[in-house]
Amino acid sequence: MIFTTRTAILFPLAWAAMAAGMVLAANPPFDDLRKQAPIHGDAVAGASKAATCAACHGAKGIAVAPNFPNLAGQSATYLYVQLRAFRGGARVNPVMQPLAKTLTDHDMRNLAAHFALLPGKAVSRAAQASSRGSILFHDGDAALGVPPCQGCHGIDGRGPRPDRTSTAPQPAWSSFPVLAGQNAPYVLTQLKAFRDGTRIGTSNDKVMQGVAHDLTIADMRALAGYVSRL
Amino acid sequence: MRKLLVPSLAVAIAAAFVGTRAWADSTDSARVGDIQYGNALDPTGWAPLLWADPRGFSWLHAGMMRTPSGVLYPYPPRREDAGSPLYKNSDWVYSGFLQLGYLHVGGDTQAEFLRQYAGWRDGLAPGLFALYADDPKTGQYLEFRGSRLSGDDQYYRLRSGQYGVYKVEAFYRDIPHHVTTSAYPLWNGVGSTDLTLPAPLMPGGSTPPEVAAVEKTRPRQTVGATRRREGLGLEAKLYRDWSGYISIVNEKRTGNGLWGGPMYLNYILEDNGGALETVRPIDFTTTDVSMGLRDAGTVWQFQLNYTGSFFRDHEDQLNFQSPFALRNVAGVPQVANIHQGQFSLEPDNDSHNLRAELSRSLKWNGQLSLATAWGTMRQNDPLLPPVTCTGTGGVFISPSADYTFNCANWNTGAALSRQTAGARIDTGLLDAKLTLRPTSRLGWHAGVRWYREDNKTNYLAFNPLTGQYGYIAENGSQGSIIPGQIGIFDPRNPLFASYVTQVRAIPFGYSDTVFDTGVDWRLGENNTLNLTYSFDRNQPKYRERKRVNEQRIKLAWVDRAIGKGTLRVDYEFAYRNGGPYNYNPYELFYSTALPGFVTPPLGNVAFTTDAMRKYDLANRVEHKFHATLIYPIGATATISAIVYATRDDYAAAIGRQATRNRGFDLSWDWQPSPMTSMNANLGRDDSSLDFSNVGDNENVTGGPGRGDPSLGGPLFPLANQWQGIDHERDYNAGLTLRHDFGRVRADFSYTYTYALGRIGYAFASAGALPITQQPFAGDVGNGFPDNHYHINTLQLGFDIAFSRMLGLRVFDVFETGSFADWHYLGLQGNLVIDHRIYTDLGPQPHYSANLIGVLLNVKL
Repeated sequence: MIFTTRTAILFPLAWAAMAAGMVLAANPPFDDLRKQAPIHGDAVAGASKAATCAACHGAKGIAVAPNFPNLAGQSATYLYVQLRAFRGGARVNPVMQPLAKTLTDHDMRNLAAHFALLPGKAVSRAAQASSRGSILFHDGDAALGVPPCQGCHGIDGRGPRPDRTSTAPQPAWSSFPVLAGQNAPYVLTQLKAFRDGTRIGTSNDKVMQGVAHDLTIADMRALAGYVSRL
Repeated sequence: MRKLLVPSLAVAIAAAFVGTRAWADSTDSARVGDIQYGNALDPTGWAPLLWADPRGFSWLHAGMMRTPSGVLYPYPPRREDAGSPLYKNSDWVYSGFLQLGYLHVGGDTQAEFLRQYAGWRDGLAPGLFALYADDPKTGQYLEFRGSRLSGDDQYYRLRSGQYGVYKVEAFYRDIPHHVTTSAYPLWNGVGSTDLTLPAPLMPGGSTPPEVAAVEKTRPRQTVGATRRREGLGLEAKLYRDWSGYISIVNEKRTGNGLWGGPMYLNYILEDNGGALETVRPIDFTTTDVSMGLRDAGTVWQFQLNYTGSFFRDHEDQLNFQSPFALRNVAGVPQVANIHQGQFSLEPDNDSHNLRAELSRSLKWNGQLSLATAWGTMRQNDPLLPPVTCTGTGGVFISPSADYTFNCANWNTGAALSRQTAGARIDTGLLDAKLTLRPTSRLGWHAGVRWYREDNKTNYLAFNPLTGQYGYIAENGSQGSIIPGQIGIFDPRNPLFASYVTQVRAIPFGYSDTVFDTGVDWRLGENNTLNLTYSFDRNQPKYRERKRVNEQRIKLAWVDRAIGKGTLRVDYEFAYRNGGPYNYNPYELFYSTALPGFVTPPLGNVAFTTDAMRKYDLANRVEHKFHATLIYPIGATATISAIVYATRDDYAAAIGRQATRNRGFDLSWDWQPSPMTSMNANLGRDDSSLDFSNVGDNENVTGGPGRGDPSLGGPLFPLANQWQGIDHERDYNAGLTLRHDFGRVRADFSYTYTYALGRIGYAFASAGALPITQQPFAGDVGNGFPDNHYHINTLQLGFDIAFSRMLGLRVFDVFETGSFADWHYLGLQGNLVIDHRIYTDLGPQPHYSANLIGVLLNVKL
């Protein structure tokens, strides 16, 4: 076997170039929730930290204005990962981000456990089964490529009922929010944020970005109105 | 009814959100060209684009889904969230990739196995250029992909269309096929149709030492061809469920190939006859056309399709000169001086096929499918005259034993019964199939298929100038060495009135009728049984049997209850028999069937032994077994194992007697995350072929018993029988590992291939050997030396990202191999042996080569 001097020169140069490039790159803040396990926290300890939250979300987790989300009865894991996203920058909000940065991981778990135990908002007007919002929520729209919301948020909007017998990889079900009784303006704002790409910092946001991509504003309003009455 | 749709929705969303764009090949009826585009640098054609998306398969869940059998799906390739707009406010977005850099090949760069299908060369090489653009609003798209290693190793493909409306595809590619890189052709004019001897060699006037001396001065050459393929295809929706398609592909092969020459008498007549390995030109064009209409309705489906194939060989013949003189073994010396030859190369030919298919959906989830087709294959090239010699050929012994012929009577088209071939084969097909699945647990199907090949070729080898039949053998050289062995039958000349030779083309054809039926039965949730039966009646024309029946039964069992794995076990049994076996069905096409043929007093020499059974017609019992186990290990790994065995036993004392094949494949796949994947595989395959034959007793061919075809008779004595066993054993193993560190991605692969070939034999006595008078007859042993083929390939590569747009690929491939083939033994430095001239020295016994590449990766 004969190897030329060119081989002898190129070989170390190639490896040197490889070694020179081995610097890891920094990525924008992103919170991958696909392996998120259900969280546990001390609801009593959380209650002691909830005073600041009450200014917007109400003392009992029912928002003081419909542009804020109700937290009462929400999935604890969902609340925790949202606080974590605010703190890490994966979810952007000028009010929530500074507040979340003052919290420890324990604080966030405890707060989430506290709000999850509070009773959800009572619905004053029943949702209409034949409305556009109902159709989208339960059946989706195959023509638009919109999947039904109930698949992840539960048939009644109160959280998913996972198939425990399946051997396929399972989503982090506990990280999906309860939608029943959520304030319609807040839901509408979030759907727009998903569609516009301003809320895409978590893997769940990526799912919702795809869902909202093909929704019209009218459909978003219909959906927001429907879930607020569930 | 509203149902909880979680499981199915998860899959649907997963597919919707982390899907790939068009970075994948697919098949369809209008496809032109090849399904796979790639080259030795990247056989997949997509490797730089196939790094797994770190986001995984789905935003919904971590880990990968498995197929229903339990195999992990691969993670989808990385893609950008969105391409760049083509221009400001454009709905079209695009993304692309360019890989361009320098390749350097070192070591034994001319090794045959390194270059067999690769056009490696030092220099700049665009490893891959890929561009994709689409308009999500309209569904229009445009995709281009290309790569170039050298002028004869490159491909480019353009696809465009609008989803659900139309698509257009065009491609161009060159593929090298190197037969040998160590050829030393003796002749000038390699690649042309005229091979001439270099000075000072003289046609018909050179001695073996003179030829050998010149041969040693000939330069080393590569023999091979390049396939240039180009094509264009269009498929479009026409009206409602109707669509149409048309495609045309043109392939041009240019180059040269190892070829033959005379192969006559030198082994038994020293310093006479000849065996020449020449080089022929390759200059073919094949144009394939396909067009059709299709109705893909929900109840009725219909398709009408035409395919045409047009082959053109731009070189009609190969002429060569032989340096050696012929010497007649009896009669007046130097009757002829035939020192040239001519081969007719492949004729132009056309093929047409028209096919119609009609299907209807039935209740019970049924389907009835009917198909019919008609085709014709034709070639009508001008025929070449039987010889190119001039003067008088053959052997003159005495006026009553004048075995000469006048070349002038045979060297023009006037010596032929017709001027063009007039060859034609028509085909017909009828096919019907019924499938029913009345319940989810039970399915049944039945079908009948009839196919016929009707060969209408009718050529008679008759020379109107002489009134003789047959074809002058070996350009007249055979009959110029052995008196009377000219190859012709002449009913008016007692010297040739008993000569047995083929005088007509045999119009081989057949009809084949197959009936098959089967049932699928699901037993519970985890077990499925499948039983199929088929009966095949083949009726060949002008063959040893007029009817061959084969019955086949297959039982398959699929079990999904072994852990989370899937086990498939198939067993198949087939039995073939048929009508009476006629060891010589070709009588009609030989001179023995012509008026005026005089049967010798002792009869004709038997055509072959009546114990011969040709393998495609012999009675046969076949067993096949195949088992596959796919077993998931946790959530990230899969083990798969395949074991198979086939056994065929032929009822033949002479001919093929048995074949055996068995082997296994083991594979382990591991995908712990989108960033890491690993595969290890190991396989072994053993096959054997047992066959037997009997040498005719040369002492009887001229005496009593010459017409006796029986095995053990005077012409085919048991003492002349021999047995051969051909063994082949192949091993392969491989290991691949890919890991994405973030800015640096590494890939490693190792492949090992080993093939061992061993031919053993046994014989009853030296009478079984073809050359009994050679001194080595007693030293032939019981087998040929082993052949082996051994290759190790190691590849290590790194992709380094400098920025989102710019990166570098650095890789090294080291390959080493060894090769041995007894066919090439004794040729090293000795390509001329008596009157035998060889061209190919054979592959390098050992080689090592190294390929280094430094390629710039640019995302567009």
